[in-house]
Amino acid sequence: MAAPAIRVGRPVEARASRGLWSDAFRRLLRNRPALVGVLFIALFVVTALIAPLIAPYAPLAGTLADRLQPPNTAHLMGTDLQGRDELSRVMYGARVSLVAGVASVVMGVFIGGLIGALAGGLGGKVDSVLMRVVDVMLAIPGILLAIGIVAWLDRGLPQIMFAVAMVNVPIFARILRGSLLSLRESDYVIASRSLGASGFRVLVRHMLPNSLTPLIVAATLALATAIIDVAGLGFLGLGPPDPRTPEWGTMLTDSTKFLRQAPWLIIFPGLAIVVSAVGFNLLGDGLRESLDPRLKQ
Amino acid sequence: MVRTRIGALVAAAAILVAACGGAASPTPAPATSAAPSTAPTTSAAPSTAPTTSAAGTPKAGGTLVVATPGDINRTDPALVDDATSTYVAQQVEETLLTLKPGTGDVVIPELATEWSVSPDGLNYTFKIRQGVKFHDGTDLNAAAVKVNFDRWIKIPKAYVDLGYTYYIDFVITAQVQGVTAPDASTVVVTLKAPNSSFPVQMTLTPFAISSPKALTDGNASAPDFKDNKYATGGPPAMVGTGPFMFKEWVPGDHVTLVKNPSYWNAAAGGPYLDQITFKPIADATATLNALQSGGVDLAQTISPVDVATVQGDSKLASIDRGSACNLGVLGMNQTHKPFDNLKIRQAMAYAVNRKAIIDAFFGGAGILASSWAPPGTLFVKELALPEYNPDKAKQLIADSGVTDLSFDFWYPSNVSRPYMPDPKGEFEAVLRDLEAVGFKPNPKNAPWSPDYLAAEESGKYPAWLIGWNCDYLGIDNFLSTAFFGYRGDPYGPGPEFAYKNDAMNQAMVDALKATDEAGQKAGWAKAQDLILADMPTVPIGSSKTPAAAAAYVKGLVPSPTLLEFFQSVWLDK
Amino acid sequence: MGKYIVRRLLGAIPVLIGLSIILFAFVHLLPGDPATAILGQHATPERVAAMRAYLGLDLPLWQQYLGYVGGLLRGDFGSSVINNQPLLRELLTRFPATLELTVAAMIYAVGVGIPLGRFASRHAQGWSDGAVTVVSLLGISIPVFVLGLTLQYIFAVELGVLPAGGRIDPRANLHIQSNFVLIDSLLMGRPDLFIDGIRHLILPAIALGSIPLAIITRITRASVLDVSNEDHVRTARAKGLKEKRVNSRHIMRNAWLPVVTVIGIQVGGLLGGAVITETVFAWNGVGRFVVEAINNRDYLVVQNTILIFALVFLAVNLIVDILYAFINPRIRYA
Repeated sequence: MAAPAIRVGRPVEARASRGLWSDAFRRLLRNRPALVGVLFIALFVVTALIAPLIAPYAPLAGTLADRLQPPNTAHLMGTDLQGRDELSRVMYGARVSLVAGVASVVMGVFIGGLIGALAGGLGGKVDSVLMRVVDVMLAIPGILLAIGIVAWLDRGLPQIMFAVAMVNVPIFARILRGSLLSLRESDYVIASRSLGASGFRVLVRHMLPNSLTPLIVAATLALATAIIDVAGLGFLGLGPPDPRTPEWGTMLTDSTKFLRQAPWLIIFPGLAIVVSAVGFNLLGDGLRESLDPRLKQ
Repeated sequence: MVRTRIGALVAAAAILVAACGGAASPTPAPATSAAPSTAPTTSAAPSTAPTTSAAGTPKAGGTLVVATPGDINRTDPALVDDATSTYVAQQVEETLLTLKPGTGDVVIPELATEWSVSPDGLNYTFKIRQGVKFHDGTDLNAAAVKVNFDRWIKIPKAYVDLGYTYYIDFVITAQVQGVTAPDASTVVVTLKAPNSSFPVQMTLTPFAISSPKALTDGNASAPDFKDNKYATGGPPAMVGTGPFMFKEWVPGDHVTLVKNPSYWNAAAGGPYLDQITFKPIADATATLNALQSGGVDLAQTISPVDVATVQGDSKLASIDRGSACNLGVLGMNQTHKPFDNLKIRQAMAYAVNRKAIIDAFFGGAGILASSWAPPGTLFVKELALPEYNPDKAKQLIADSGVTDLSFDFWYPSNVSRPYMPDPKGEFEAVLRDLEAVGFKPNPKNAPWSPDYLAAEESGKYPAWLIGWNCDYLGIDNFLSTAFFGYRGDPYGPGPEFAYKNDAMNQAMVDALKATDEAGQKAGWAKAQDLILADMPTVPIGSSKTPAAAAAYVKGLVPSPTLLEFFQSVWLDK
Repeated sequence: MGKYIVRRLLGAIPVLIGLSIILFAFVHLLPGDPATAILGQHATPERVAAMRAYLGLDLPLWQQYLGYVGGLLRGDFGSSVINNQPLLRELLTRFPATLELTVAAMIYAVGVGIPLGRFASRHAQGWSDGAVTVVSLLGISIPVFVLGLTLQYIFAVELGVLPAGGRIDPRANLHIQSNFVLIDSLLMGRPDLFIDGIRHLILPAIALGSIPLAIITRITRASVLDVSNEDHVRTARAKGLKEKRVNSRHIMRNAWLPVVTVIGIQVGGLLGGAVITETVFAWNGVGRFVVEAINNRDYLVVQNTILIFALVFLAVNLIVDILYAFINPRIRYA
């Protein structure tokens, strides 16, 4: 049940056959902010897919002689420190950054959600043990946890995505568990239990759908931070070995030194991250609202 | 940190030992270019000639806040080797000899009024300045200097194991036989072997003279370092004879020095400042922001990319350190393929557009390399280094017959050095140049310390970006100490570049042994010609370590080796 | 309730043991050797061996671990291998700095985030809601160091209204007693320095608080919207209660739960986030300290500093869980 909400990036129609989901989908279509969100995301997804067709230049092409040009007609977003076209790099960057962000959040939601659901739903010993594990993970500052994971698993984009996912796991687990906890004693859960429903059935049918809200919000928010975290690891010298890979977070990081001389190198990749984050958050809000049965009008 | 000062003398000493051992030469030998063998034995106190402030009568008073890129490590100058610790300590403790302010190699007297060397080159006699008092009120005399030398000679093994004693190891332990103080104003240092670079080595801040009383009170030679108060902040700590006195060190936050009201050399002018506070600011942009907003008055180093911003700000003054004392290179290791092939190494040199890289990444402070030492170094020769020529590079590759052009190419993260201000940017540019002529470099990256340095030094990288920050402006410090001096085991090329050319090494040894300038010049010229023919690395460029200060900071004499004294500094506000 | 607290405190013991093992493994498995890191580039094999012996790294791992835990139990935190300062003293100097910064950032994030979230929820799906979303996401989409440096540039360099970094004007010679600038300045009887301390806190607190601010805003908004649709709220409205009363008595009371959870988690995040903020603002706290220690492979410093992070974090979360019970009496701690 939790799956569709977790895979925020996946078309909701996949489950549209069931009544609840088709209702939700119809509600989503009526939710204007959510549609704006979908539009933003679609914009970047399409850009990522057809980047080679629409990018004016190759992402690695350029010479030092052309470096640090302010936006002009030949280079709409200017050129970067290596004289490469910033617009083309933002377009190609959509590929790496979106994949990295979405993949790490999905991984995090899946693992974290599972831990949180078991802990909050089953309670007792399971809860105690799992929450102690989560406490240990949470107690290590995220960036240090990520450094450790990359140090063990070696360098590379998949490893980095996993490391960023693991940073979010305890957070997602705790959030889901927190909202499940508040539901356990609520009237309808007690009611369905007294009607003889099994603990597992109550958890899946009644508690999870009602407790996903904070998780969805946290997950859509985590998307922006995931893109930044990938760059943060690069900043600490643990990024993908080829420094030329166009990726928004790193493009932003590398330009920090040129904050004064070339602000456009901060603005454009920064905007790309903001717009995609807004897109995912609006969609997240929409999903949350349309999945809430109480909002059925 | 590393590669600033650390170990610069390591190989110098190794070369000396080897040279003397192997050459069986009875004559007093090696004279480094840096040691002015005809040193003036004047007794005049060093006078400072401020160059940054032209006009105005110095005003006394005020606090100078100095931004440093890192914190100090210890409060005992003898036990530090990093640029920040020595920058602070040199304001407080003074050496027997020092470099003429603003120069990288002119030795002048400081706590010694004169010095002389015996004909066999083994005995150095220093006349100790009279009437000088340490900050704790005790007298400087020959006995006090002897106490310091004896302490260096008998430095506890634990300190050596901790790695705190680079300079002591290679200047004192490796070279000094013993020290005597025949009278109250004379100290005689006896060397194990002749070394005419000994005077220039005595100008290094680790050989500053501390108060014997403070050394005893601070337990400065405690067998277990944990009991040593002198090096860990005291009290007492850092008690010398300088124009400023150590007040406190709050690790990570600041070091505070206060004016020495009874400084012996007040006649030279100063000290004017009441207080100096050193504040570590790790981020270069944050340093500039602090400077521009008035939070700090002087930045020991700024990023080269910010020099233009400083020059465009009327409230700030850019500090020009005169000459560069560093060199960045594209390293190649000849035990790795394809760099065992000369034509390939030459092709690398033609492939890289060095000038474009200097223009793009050295922020106007860059100097294109014309040899394996920066311009201005004595005996450096202007070589006909390959100019950017991709076609020639392709031709050389074709001629080489090498077909597998792939190799691992490394760059460091978490670092910025004067010879490599933006390693990643420079790396991307080099990568593109190399790919353009058909090389297949495989990009690799590691954090500078400890991974990158440890791996490159032991010869694990086929190709990588590296460089050298000098100790003084001597060509020996670059060619033999930093790069190509034989120091392997068995005696031969070091593992870093694995560059073997016995004739080249012999030329360097000859140059070090030569007693006359002509002989030194010929030796170093021959060595440079041979290196050019072998192209073991591609020298890229150097930069004058840029600094900046608020416009009201006057009287600072910039030094290429950062040996800058704040005695003459005053605030015009 | 008392029983519950005791049980939770006992429950912290296995967490700390587990954490000490994980941390120990974490630092010892990091590539790179502390001996090499300390000795620098010209470390010879003999020196590295001597150094490893000096540091006790030549012993079997389990012996090293027992030695480490033994030291902790004796209250010996060891000292840094880089500057040889006793770690306990170092932490006592730096922890107050991080605490001051974290509390300030949290005040900013909670103080702005909750009202902003409630405001957005009242105008859900409207333009002002959208504006709040974009603004809060702006803070989360910009890396802390870019945000910090930009804030410095605008407010310190261009406008000149706030200091660019540091905790207090270094020319003021603050007499350090507690290491809390705000307390020490008052102890000195210098309200001007107190204000200077606050001025130094503003920019780093905003930089550090931007991510929790975004999260708290969004969670509050979502949570309030959720609760607003609950039956009891509808009932309350139907009964004709004033909107203000519905808000405070029925909505916020229930909406607090997830918000409090997130605040608890974010405290952990703040301690981590302080790493970068402290570097940008020359803030002598534990965050910067621990990153330098990782670079130097200063094992004891890394292990013990993170262990103290963990203690603070566990304490905060215990308080959060107690708050749960306080806010929602239906949660019983059997």
